[in-house]
Amino acid sequence: MSREAYQVPSSLGGQTAFDSGASSLDGPMVAYLCGECNARVSLKRGDQIRCKECGHRVLYKERTKRMVQFEAR
Amino acid sequence: MPPRRKPQVPTARSADAAAASRRAAAGPSSTQKRPSVSKQPPNPPQPEPSVEEQADEHPHVPYRHRDPFDALLEPFYYNKSLTDPINTAKDKWNLLPAFLKVKGLVKQHIDSYNYLVEVQLKKIVESSSIIRSDIDHNFYIKFTDIYLGAPRRADEQQDAGPGFTGSTVSPQECRLRDTTYAAPIQVDFEYVRGRQRVKKTGYSIGRMPVMLRSSKCVLSDKTPAEMTVLNECPLDPGGYFIVNGTEKVILVQEQLSKNRIIVETDPKKEIVQASVTSSSNERKSKSYIVLKKDKLYVKHNVLNEDIPIVILLKAMGIHTDKEMLLLVAGIDKVYQEDFAINFEEAIKLGIYTQQQALDWIGSRIKINRGKQSNYRRTHVQEAVEAIASVIISHIEVKDMNFRPKAVYVAHMARRVLMAKNDPSLVDDRDYLGNKRLELAGQLLALLFEDLFKKFCFDIKMNVDKVLNKRNRAEAFDAWTVMSMHSNHITQGMNRAISTGNWSLKRFRMERAGVTHVLSRLSYIAALGMMTRISSQFEKTRKVSGPRALQPSQFGMLCLADTPEGEACGLVKNLALMTHITTNDEEGPIRNLIFMLGAEDISTLGGKELYGPGCYTISINGTPMALTRRPKYFLNAFRRLRRMGRISEFVSIYINHHQRAVHVATDDGRICRPLIVVENGKTRVRAHHLKKLREGSMSFDDFLAQGLVEYLDVNEENDSLIAIYEKDITDATTHLEIEPFTILGAVAGLIPYPHHNQSPRNTYQCAMGKQAIGAIASNQFLRIDSILYLMVYPQKPMVKSRTIELTKYDHLPAGHNAMVAVMSYSGYDIEDALVLNKGSVDRGFGRCQVFKKSVANLKSYSNGTKDILMPPEYDNDAPIRKHALLESDGLAAVGELVNAGEVYINKSTPDQSLASGFPGSEMGRPVKYTPTPMTYKLHDPAYIDQVLVSTTENENQLIKVLTRQTRRPEVGDKFSSRHGQKGVVGIIADQADMPFTDQGINPDIIMNPHGFPSRMTVGKMLELVAGKAGVLSGQHGYGTCFGGSPVEEMSQILIDKGFSYGGKDYLTSGITGEALPFYVFTGPIYYQKLKHMVQDKMHSRARGPRAILTRQPTEGRSRDGGLRLGEMERDCLIAYGTSQLLLERLMISSDRHEIDVCEQCGFMGYLNWCQRCKSSRSVVKMAIPYAAKLLIQELMSMNVTARLKLEDEFPETRGM
Repeated sequence: MSREAYQVPSSLGGQTAFDSGASSLDGPMVAYLCGECNARVSLKRGDQIRCKECGHRVLYKERTKRMVQFEAR
Repeated sequence: MPPRRKPQVPTARSADAAAASRRAAAGPSSTQKRPSVSKQPPNPPQPEPSVEEQADEHPHVPYRHRDPFDALLEPFYYNKSLTDPINTAKDKWNLLPAFLKVKGLVKQHIDSYNYLVEVQLKKIVESSSIIRSDIDHNFYIKFTDIYLGAPRRADEQQDAGPGFTGSTVSPQECRLRDTTYAAPIQVDFEYVRGRQRVKKTGYSIGRMPVMLRSSKCVLSDKTPAEMTVLNECPLDPGGYFIVNGTEKVILVQEQLSKNRIIVETDPKKEIVQASVTSSSNERKSKSYIVLKKDKLYVKHNVLNEDIPIVILLKAMGIHTDKEMLLLVAGIDKVYQEDFAINFEEAIKLGIYTQQQALDWIGSRIKINRGKQSNYRRTHVQEAVEAIASVIISHIEVKDMNFRPKAVYVAHMARRVLMAKNDPSLVDDRDYLGNKRLELAGQLLALLFEDLFKKFCFDIKMNVDKVLNKRNRAEAFDAWTVMSMHSNHITQGMNRAISTGNWSLKRFRMERAGVTHVLSRLSYIAALGMMTRISSQFEKTRKVSGPRALQPSQFGMLCLADTPEGEACGLVKNLALMTHITTNDEEGPIRNLIFMLGAEDISTLGGKELYGPGCYTISINGTPMALTRRPKYFLNAFRRLRRMGRISEFVSIYINHHQRAVHVATDDGRICRPLIVVENGKTRVRAHHLKKLREGSMSFDDFLAQGLVEYLDVNEENDSLIAIYEKDITDATTHLEIEPFTILGAVAGLIPYPHHNQSPRNTYQCAMGKQAIGAIASNQFLRIDSILYLMVYPQKPMVKSRTIELTKYDHLPAGHNAMVAVMSYSGYDIEDALVLNKGSVDRGFGRCQVFKKSVANLKSYSNGTKDILMPPEYDNDAPIRKHALLESDGLAAVGELVNAGEVYINKSTPDQSLASGFPGSEMGRPVKYTPTPMTYKLHDPAYIDQVLVSTTENENQLIKVLTRQTRRPEVGDKFSSRHGQKGVVGIIADQADMPFTDQGINPDIIMNPHGFPSRMTVGKMLELVAGKAGVLSGQHGYGTCFGGSPVEEMSQILIDKGFSYGGKDYLTSGITGEALPFYVFTGPIYYQKLKHMVQDKMHSRARGPRAILTRQPTEGRSRDGGLRLGEMERDCLIAYGTSQLLLERLMISSDRHEIDVCEQCGFMGYLNWCQRCKSSRSVVKMAIPYAAKLLIQELMSMNVTARLKLEDEFPETRGM
């Protein structure tokens, strides 16, 4: 597909590879939800923002598992 | 001959009218190539039958029952079922929903865009389709066709043909990703490569933003269900663009019409002049015929001085004086006498022949030739050129035949003479018939034309450059050159729409503020914006004319909806039924005029032209034929139009003063549909309405059968329109469909507006747009920079037809509050409201505020880019301000965010600006400085959504949406629908509120002093109708000039055991005693306005100061101080409190201690005067820092300011 064909300009590409290599050391995967198909997408830093299922490029963060207290008034 | 459209679709093809109209709008391949010229007769074979069939087999089945308009059409109002008797007088208004179903509320925008895309683009390219090279004369690039493809993302293939369906782009995705919703402009072209001719098809030359809901938009022909799948609101009107993620509207622009003669007088200078702004594809210019000292002159920009009209006419080849005299004055003695004086002018100058005249004119033409200096033209050539193509340029001169232009000039001159003799023949600039509305399509066409011409020019220059090289390494392929420039059109379009600056070199047009961000404050605000008209001229001038309500605006423009203040009367709104025409082909109309027996004007002289009983026929302002039976001609023409042989938007009317029949086919005329009346009877009969009700007839069928027709302002002025069926007389020509359509969409929300004082309706039109409510059905999916939503919106108890038609009741903004009109405590004076705390607890006026903050992770030229940092830890716990962050550096969704907390932990590389040389800094690890986004507001909010995406240039985009839920508090602003705004004065405990004998507490107590001076009787009627509705279990109707009659409402109240006037017996909640008066109590729809105390409350003791002046900062957002201004200062001076003044203006502001040298008067420092090189006479004193700054700034400009000091108490000196 045309998406695969797209290449980031070469000078940048080298740098990105370098970046992702460095950043993969820190930061675990964070889960996102796809805006189109609602699939769970886990991304590391430096990963391309794209749903692995449908290729949609809008992702939302999942709601936190931490406890949230509301003041109901 | 058959009518233009099948009036009733046979039952076999019961894809029915809805499907038919859908098919009609389905795109370039369908029957209607141009939406405005919808009348290709059905019998000639369709040009592309095969494609047509494909379009027919649309994947989704025709839907009827899910269309929201059908819900409106089916059960019919007044609770009538299909079998109920039909009363034409009462039910004719059903045409209105039928009209809106076909036309929609913002159809003007969409129609004009469709016209651009389907017709105008092709015309523009046709007019300059060939690029030739100056170097190689064999080379050419020829554009054979142009069309707009399907919308797609920028990183998808742009060149694929119309069959390309690979893109899943949706408008909502573009909003979220901050991209542009655009489609490729594709061209077919052929060019020369080496020796052979190469053809290319579907090549994209740029991307054009797509108007939502236009024929090219993915939302066209979608059912509400399909729209929902695309995350789009089915109620959204469309008609705007999405450019870089923001919704942009191109407002309707009002202008004086082009190519029409306007006769004006200047009583001061005793000038009568006829002017015409000519606008053709090539040129725009203004020409005048002026009557100065009884002599006629021609004035134009290219002419150095005014030239006598006789000379111009001579130059145009009117040889004899007699012919000239007749052409201007006819056989009328008065005009002949007035004109005769002009001949002296020519004789005085010795000009007798055409050659002399041309020479004389040529010597008076401004020479502005920069380019072709190599050859000089003679005066005669100059003059011929100017007359042919500059003066009155919209009249084309073909084969050097100046006759039509001469006739036009003579006609203008005649108009001047007529106006001189009869001042009533002067034209009114403010008359709506002399105005044209410019829509998005036209503006974009101008823009595209400019960009396309530039594109062609750039290609030509490039081609010339390449071809100029003698020996090229490879064979030249123009393809590469073309792809080089493809960005210019895209960027030009995007820039113009996103900034609103239309700067076109060709027309020397420089317009700012053409586009606006679509206001999403409320549904009605967005809707109101789509119908807005902005006036081009004179905002500051103090003339009342353009601002005043013109009688000709009746039914066309809303008479209530205009802003107050500066733009009052200049910004207008369209009425409900208004339509704006698109351009129609002039040629066929011209032929038709001759077929109806008119004589060609070029064969006639002045004697026939202005003979008794002769009427000239003008098409788009240009006289071109003559008829001796104007009335017959008019009727025949109208009959043909009603039969559908001519576009329904072509207008014809007689002007008896000018003895002229005017036919108009141009674009931008305002028109509206009316029911045709013939022989004192309406043509719409009960059986038509029955068919409409059954759905077997649509609005278009009414048009096709000539039951309804569009009238523009000029033609409306020529008709006698009855408002109600009972008013029809023998002379009546038309019948109003429904009188409430004289109001627009926004004013239509007001119940009983015809009972209100008119300014109150205007106030409500401004306030209805600020009401908090539901915005769209996709409101929770939107991430807008600010979004106000009501938590429990209710649809109003008292509705109006307009509310139903605009579907305001689906996306309401307000609450039906039980209002008691009485005095309560002292907290209700000056329009303040008392709110019931119980109601507030139950959710009255509760709203949510969503705010967006965006971070863009930029890439820099040296390969580094912004990154998100995980939270910093301290003792195994995140530091305080990073408490919300998760490991990806973004705040957790759902968390409460307080002031000072970080929600996007962005970091920027240090060497972002360093050179991009690879190797120089490559190996070194990149250092980052934190540039986090911190929550700044005092009131906490919840993180509602965190969106991660990428922009068009592959940068990461992060949007964080925060949410606050607010309950009403003291100071929040509320308003009813009658321009009666008020702030909450107190929120009283429910126990303290009065109650009725049924135990009903009011939600709001309103002070009765609000009524007498405001005279908002409509509000009282709303209360009564609402109360009756509540008691009888139905909605009240407050439609303008109609609605539920008070008598009936009162009767319901009586039947239910209430007082007929809506007054109730109340018991005080405080004392428990009966109130010694009856209280007017009932439901009134209240809107919560966006002005809330929480956003405005501000105080400060000490705080930040501006760097330069060291004075406290300004404004709430900067935690600024409260200014003691000039006038307050005056008060303190007058009062004599000098110490207070000193404290406010210096001590509490920017007190600064300086060292002053008494000797020289300059400032020193550290007790040392640098100028006197001594510290002997240096003293300390305090002055405002601003004063010190001023002195130093003056010194920097070589202006000395010396401080001369004097002792206030000399005797204490030296102590």
